[in-house]
Amino acid sequence: MGLALTLSLAACGGDETAASGSSTSSTTSSPSASSSPATTTSSAAAQGRTIRITITGKQVSPAPTTVDLAVGEKLTLVVTSDHADELHLHGFEIEDKLTAGAATTVTVTGKDPGVYEVETHEPPLRLLKIAVR
Amino acid sequence: MSPTVAGPLAVLPAHGVGSREDLPLPFHLLLVGAGLALVVSFVALGALWKQPRLHREDGRLLPIMVSLALDSAPVRAVFVALSLVITGWTLTALVAGADTANNPVPSVVYVWLWVGLAFSSMVFGGYWRLVNPVRWLRRGLLAAARIEEDFALAEYRLGYWPAAAGLLAFAWLELVAPDNADLLTLRVAVFGYLLVSLVLGLAFGPAYLRTGDPFAAWSSLYGTLSPLGRRADGRWVLRTPLHGPLMVDAQPGLLAVTSVMLGTTAYDGFSGETRWYSFVQSSSLPAAIWETAALVTFCLVVAGSLALAAVLSARLAGVSPRGVASAFAPSLVPIAAGYLIAHYWSLWVWEGTHGLAKMSDPLGTGANLLGTAGLNAPEALIAPGFVAAVQVVSIVTGHVLGVVLAHERAVTLFPRRAAVLGQLPLLALMVVYTVGGLTLLFSS
Repeated sequence: MGLALTLSLAACGGDETAASGSSTSSTTSSPSASSSPATTTSSAAAQGRTIRITITGKQVSPAPTTVDLAVGEKLTLVVTSDHADELHLHGFEIEDKLTAGAATTVTVTGKDPGVYEVETHEPPLRLLKIAVR
Repeated sequence: MSPTVAGPLAVLPAHGVGSREDLPLPFHLLLVGAGLALVVSFVALGALWKQPRLHREDGRLLPIMVSLALDSAPVRAVFVALSLVITGWTLTALVAGADTANNPVPSVVYVWLWVGLAFSSMVFGGYWRLVNPVRWLRRGLLAAARIEEDFALAEYRLGYWPAAAGLLAFAWLELVAPDNADLLTLRVAVFGYLLVSLVLGLAFGPAYLRTGDPFAAWSSLYGTLSPLGRRADGRWVLRTPLHGPLMVDAQPGLLAVTSVMLGTTAYDGFSGETRWYSFVQSSSLPAAIWETAALVTFCLVVAGSLALAAVLSARLAGVSPRGVASAFAPSLVPIAAGYLIAHYWSLWVWEGTHGLAKMSDPLGTGANLLGTAGLNAPEALIAPGFVAAVQVVSIVTGHVLGVVLAHERAVTLFPRRAAVLGQLPLLALMVVYTVGGLTLLFSS
């Protein structure tokens, strides 16, 4: 199942435009609605570029990279893990629950220049780095 | 790193220091830095002095009143008292504080004690020997038991070896250990350190606390770069950053401790490489095993490469290789300092300031005892362009100082004819360290 998920997500590609991002988010947001906290940064409508990340055990797909983000630009992460976990965006001060199998959507806006890690806690995995320039 | 606070979702971010990292060094600055390092090295080889020129008696004497003040008991007592207050304050937060991201202890231990102590020692000299709380704890215990102050069970002969082991252990705790910002981990580490230091201090006497204590070695070796120091007769002088390292005695373990100083910082740069941590975190072995192995390997590679270069240099110069590696080990100190500044400058500004803000509320009660709660790091000091400049300048400066130190040692140790040839392996190694350091900043 993990493999199937990975394949289908790989087909979506890493980057999407704002328009296609918002259309796909409606299909992924429903399972995670119960766990989504009312933070201003999590929203149902994806904004900016969208990156989809799948976690299968200790494997992160696509492999971690550094993603550039301009100051003021938005970036949406759609993270799906095969196990319950916590998603933590360093520097953006965001912690969000991941429910097994359900996509969690988080949108951030580049503010202070620097490199910030996006990670999960159980097990500790680094998903990507966001380089705000 | 996961928070242990109760509740469905922690509002506070997880523990840990360093949530923000520097942007990669721009490539053109990598080229500029590497080019400068190469040019300086070869110019130095040909153009620098041919006779030993830096002496232990050099330096501009401080005004007598300043010297007297620096050596006076009341002034020293002020610094010791300040250190003991900070220690007590931190221990209170460690024992009775809340286990949340607002607890100041992780910032104090990982940022103030590690980076802050090194940076301040580079400016003011190695002051940890004076303010080390273990020294005064030991003295207090001995006084209470009416035992002489220089009491020791055995003569101290281990030199810098305990410091090398202790600094490696500290780096492991900071860079590898899981949950290293949790209060439980910190309690074990801090009280473990205090206990071990006290036992060793009681067993070996003040000599251990001067050389073997990890933070004393960390502070005094980086402190050799300070313009403020004591010349050979013990008088306070202002001098170049070259004079201090040349006065470091070649005690056992000197190569080990300088290698740990450089190797651990280099490992920290390397551990942020995407391909490395992708491999580590998805490996079937626990990540800590790979990370520990890499940390130790970095230190061994530094020690091994310097030893090899020193032996080659000795061969080319036609002298015995015995003790040559230790003689050149002090030239690693400015290089390690350059790495340290480049790597931790923004962490120091950012987390050091936040640490001061958190210290205002040691027990997590919302108090603002020091009035520093709202303190924010000055943006100008961590602006990306400024940080990149600090990185290149510190690495290249460290390299230049290292090269000149190695040159001075070479003309001291090697016969005059062979001194230039004998420096080649060491110079090549320093260029490798410097270009390697710049590459780590560029690619991670």
